[in-house]
Amino acid sequence: MKFLGYERADGSAGIRNHVLVIPGGLLAAKICDFVEGTNTILTADSGSGRTSRDRETIARTLIGLGRNPNVASVIVHSAGVATGYPELNPTRIADEIAQSGKRVEFIEVAKEGGTFRALEKGIQVAREVVQETSRTRRQPCDLSQMAIGVKCGASDTTSGIAGNPVVGYLFDRIVEAGGTAFFGENTEIIGAEHVLAKRGVSAEVSRRILEVAAETEEKAKATGEDIRTVNPVPANIAGGISTLEEKSLGAIHKSGSAPVQGILEYGERPSGKGLYFVDNWMSTGSIFAGYAASGAQLVIFQLGGGGWTDKDLLSTSTAVVAPLMWATANPKTLAVAGSCIDFYSGGVIEDGDSIEETGEKLLQTVLEIASGTLVKVETIKHTDPTQIYLKDSPF
Amino acid sequence: MTLKGALILAEADNVATAIEDIEPGAVVPVRLGKEVRTVKALERVPFGFKIAVADIPRGADVIKYGESIGKASSDIKKGNMVHIHNLEGVRGRGDLAKGGSR
Repeated sequence: MKFLGYERADGSAGIRNHVLVIPGGLLAAKICDFVEGTNTILTADSGSGRTSRDRETIARTLIGLGRNPNVASVIVHSAGVATGYPELNPTRIADEIAQSGKRVEFIEVAKEGGTFRALEKGIQVAREVVQETSRTRRQPCDLSQMAIGVKCGASDTTSGIAGNPVVGYLFDRIVEAGGTAFFGENTEIIGAEHVLAKRGVSAEVSRRILEVAAETEEKAKATGEDIRTVNPVPANIAGGISTLEEKSLGAIHKSGSAPVQGILEYGERPSGKGLYFVDNWMSTGSIFAGYAASGAQLVIFQLGGGGWTDKDLLSTSTAVVAPLMWATANPKTLAVAGSCIDFYSGGVIEDGDSIEETGEKLLQTVLEIASGTLVKVETIKHTDPTQIYLKDSPF
Repeated sequence: MTLKGALILAEADNVATAIEDIEPGAVVPVRLGKEVRTVKALERVPFGFKIAVADIPRGADVIKYGESIGKASSDIKKGNMVHIHNLEGVRGRGDLAKGGSR
């Protein structure tokens, strides 16, 4: 199983060839406005007034996005809001990205003589880096070099029956081939954690799965609210899902059947290959960028959508450097939002197609996208902002 | 082949998921793998919603995927639709927790 990717110095393989400018903000945004082939993160999570744990999460996200295989080179500038905190020191961020062997350029605003001079310098540096990046050629790469993340959303009962199991089949194939796969959503293992915990590679991993579910449930209970007024979300209930337990038991099917190698924090890079559970938040605006920071080259949004009747244009590019691929098993969703859906697995329900044959088709679609075919939302010039998943209160 | 009716996902399940809009009085084919049973619908069950394939007394577990997805909040008859009006989750219920505000 091969795809055509960009070989990187650290042995990884990009499926896209971005130049990333970080941290986000005016300087990065204006460089990206001016220079083709550049990309930045749009987020209000600067780190100012955040605990050290949350600041480290932000730094880990920026470093992880910079190290993502889809990024050829990185430009780091010093004009971030919270660069005085040691975790967010731009030199630290540049150095840790450079350990991957990528070219990292550094723009020091004060040294250049202010924002406008730094912008001029940044534009010229970015143009040069982008042109150099364009000399890279796609080469045959092995499926073992693939890392993929999944979220299931607007879940309905087609998700648990067909959509999620088909993604689960893909996950099994990637993991069997020696690749890496991420799933997560800490609220959506509540009620299914006893099933998932059986798949821990060790007693410690199984214990941690139960612990993440218990911690999340305690937080939910502390609100004093009925969890069903929060999650399942209204779209789930309108799509036929009645309880959080039902949602969770359907949701874990997207992880396939491989052993869970470990539990990662948001944006954390795994120490090895295989299947990982990420202790993250389900929000579309948050989860995909976190997977990309963990190293995913491609993210899948497995959509139910039975409760949606008015969304024909779906969320775009929230993984910052990783394409966002949409899949669904719901024929009604396909009819409404077909212009954004890259893969349809509804044949499992409508025609009795097997999970395996449908999963093989999904694998072929993934290999094509990995080789350069655009996902449908990549054709839209819009990037939604990213909300980095921070666990502590701001002060 | 176009599948109709409802799907059961595990042997222990007492609900099935409708894969078409089911009308009241319809005799619905319910599949578990290759095995097909029938259940008479007592009411309308839209695509994607659940139909009881056994009587489920109030307080008993509602089973899907072979696992509990919550408890029946009223007596459910075979053929009834099962959703938030007669099924309650028991997990993450801050409203029921000690010290909860409601």
